[in-house]
Amino acid sequence: MRKQIIRLAAAAALLSAAGAAWPQAGLNAVRVGPAGPILDPDAGFWKSAKEMPVAMLPQMIAAPMHASPAVKELRVRAVHNGQWLSLRLQWKDPTKNDVMLTDQFGDQVAVELPIELKKDAPPNPMMGNKGGRVNILQWRAPFQRDVDHGEPDIRKLYPNSLVDVYPDQVLRATDARPYTGALGVDNPISRPRLSPVLDQMSEGWGTMTVKPDQHADGKGVWQDGEWRVVITLPMATESANSPRLAPGSSTLVAFAVWDGGTREVGGRKAWSSWVPLKLAK
Amino acid sequence: MAKTYNWQIGREMEYPYESARPQKQFAMVMDLNKCIACQTCTVACKTTWTSGRGQEYMYWNNVESKPYGYYPLGWDVNILSRLGVQPMDGPVYRGKTLFDAAPQGEQVLGYLPDDLDYAHPNIGEDDSLGNMAQGAFLQLPHMQWMYYLPRICNHCTYPACLGSCPRQSIYKRPEDGIVLTDQTRCRGYRECVKGCPYKKTFFNPMTRVTEKCIGCYPAVENNRQTQCTITCIGKIRMQGFISVPDRLREDNPIDYIVHVARVARPLYPQFGLEPNVYYIPPVHVPHEYLSQMFGWGVERAIASYRKAAEDRKLLGALLLFGATPEIIHHYKLEGRYTIGYDENHAEIVRVPLSEPIHIRPLYDERHQTYRTNMT
Repeated sequence: MRKQIIRLAAAAALLSAAGAAWPQAGLNAVRVGPAGPILDPDAGFWKSAKEMPVAMLPQMIAAPMHASPAVKELRVRAVHNGQWLSLRLQWKDPTKNDVMLTDQFGDQVAVELPIELKKDAPPNPMMGNKGGRVNILQWRAPFQRDVDHGEPDIRKLYPNSLVDVYPDQVLRATDARPYTGALGVDNPISRPRLSPVLDQMSEGWGTMTVKPDQHADGKGVWQDGEWRVVITLPMATESANSPRLAPGSSTLVAFAVWDGGTREVGGRKAWSSWVPLKLAK
Repeated sequence: MAKTYNWQIGREMEYPYESARPQKQFAMVMDLNKCIACQTCTVACKTTWTSGRGQEYMYWNNVESKPYGYYPLGWDVNILSRLGVQPMDGPVYRGKTLFDAAPQGEQVLGYLPDDLDYAHPNIGEDDSLGNMAQGAFLQLPHMQWMYYLPRICNHCTYPACLGSCPRQSIYKRPEDGIVLTDQTRCRGYRECVKGCPYKKTFFNPMTRVTEKCIGCYPAVENNRQTQCTITCIGKIRMQGFISVPDRLREDNPIDYIVHVARVARPLYPQFGLEPNVYYIPPVHVPHEYLSQMFGWGVERAIASYRKAAEDRKLLGALLLFGATPEIIHHYKLEGRYTIGYDENHAEIVRVPLSEPIHIRPLYDERHQTYRTNMT
């Protein structure tokens, strides 16, 4: 127990050092032409943005900890078009995991931005802190599969399953609702998705909340043992829970990545510290 | 980790949260000597709660054969082998609980079952694999033995599912101790599926979050026992509330059975969760096996159960099983009856302690024939 506390303290010290220091090297979001959400991971303009490798660290602060995450590095590029900021994240992943069963987990990646950035006190890069709220945009491979191929039905997941009748086939929608579990109470991860990206906010561990207003979008493609995922967000919205960015402004960005093939989920992840992000004029 | 007191293991133990016992604690007693695995409870539960999409392989209530039946496959032997051999001499348990044995950076020792482990409940469980030896005869405990183990969520005092959820999506209701998953808050990390040693939280692949036995809380809130209890044709179950041992009420049938007569034991108390389903152990099974499953006190439980006819209060409590759909909070013996009362001491059921016996003559004069016991 004591050993664990010492390790936690050491990790926390390391974290605050990482948070307080203002690393010099950073991402530059170059300005690109097309208007609207920037979704295409294979668009030609990505070549104009310089790629930055971001080291991914084990999550060793909050239980459940994860000492040896699968993904050690993300390769990141950033672009904007004056209205939408977009980040392209690439990492090696030999297995494409986009189905969720009891023992199968989906690949995921997330981008984190401070909602309000005070230069001398950036939020904790690990999901923010009280008074240091962050916007977390999480792309999930199973959502991408839903968007690309439609919601799975049980015969796709279990080809040999036999079911006589479901309540929603014989009851009115309102009466069948109690039998639909999380779907019936509009759990944001259960309901049918229009976008593979969840627009969320957080102010510390265990406080991650899906925002009622969803602004972000994205697209992920797995090819030849590598994910290429684009996450895009409007640079300014009416929401008080989104960052406000403008051409020429600077902010911070941090990342997290999960490898579904090694059952990474929730706190079992790789994370990065803050990386400065500058938006071209 | 906080220090909490677990009366089942007779000592303080570590748990991720401070102890906060509910005002009342949901509890159930099941008499394993009477279960025939008819699965009426399973079907009642399934049709009531888990007939929706994504719940096809989900049984909040299941009945498995022991020692070789499991749902999900191998659930108890898998966690027992991970916990390792522990001293089990009681009444104070000196071995490790699952919280003591948690790996570095985790809240509880657990494992995530394979998806296929849920695929074939009961398949092959009761197949006969051999013959009895020549000259074998039945004795107690039996040479060849098996028994049925009906299981629901134990609505533990120290739930490992709750302790291992990083989002605090699982909560224990202060009014009745029922453990529930918040369906709006859960994000489907499956830490609870990994953490619960009884494997009574389930991942729904359609809604992508966890679901679990809800203790039929809409029924319990209306003073009605759970679906699995009231539909049990063998009347093996009683659902009500249990007190901690130092606040036991002798007129609460569950308190009397568990704390006074001590004929019912929790399932794997050594795990340290203080589970609140209590089992009357089967009398024909070797005590070594039962001790691993129900802890110390099994021999005493069996001895007391076999003398139930001499303990009128115990007999009275046992005869209230399956006698009413309502929750019995108090009971009393009066003449040749055991009487169950609701929370406000209003009578809800009256059961005779013994059935009237009629002895008919061997020769039936009216029909001019001999009566036999052949059908």
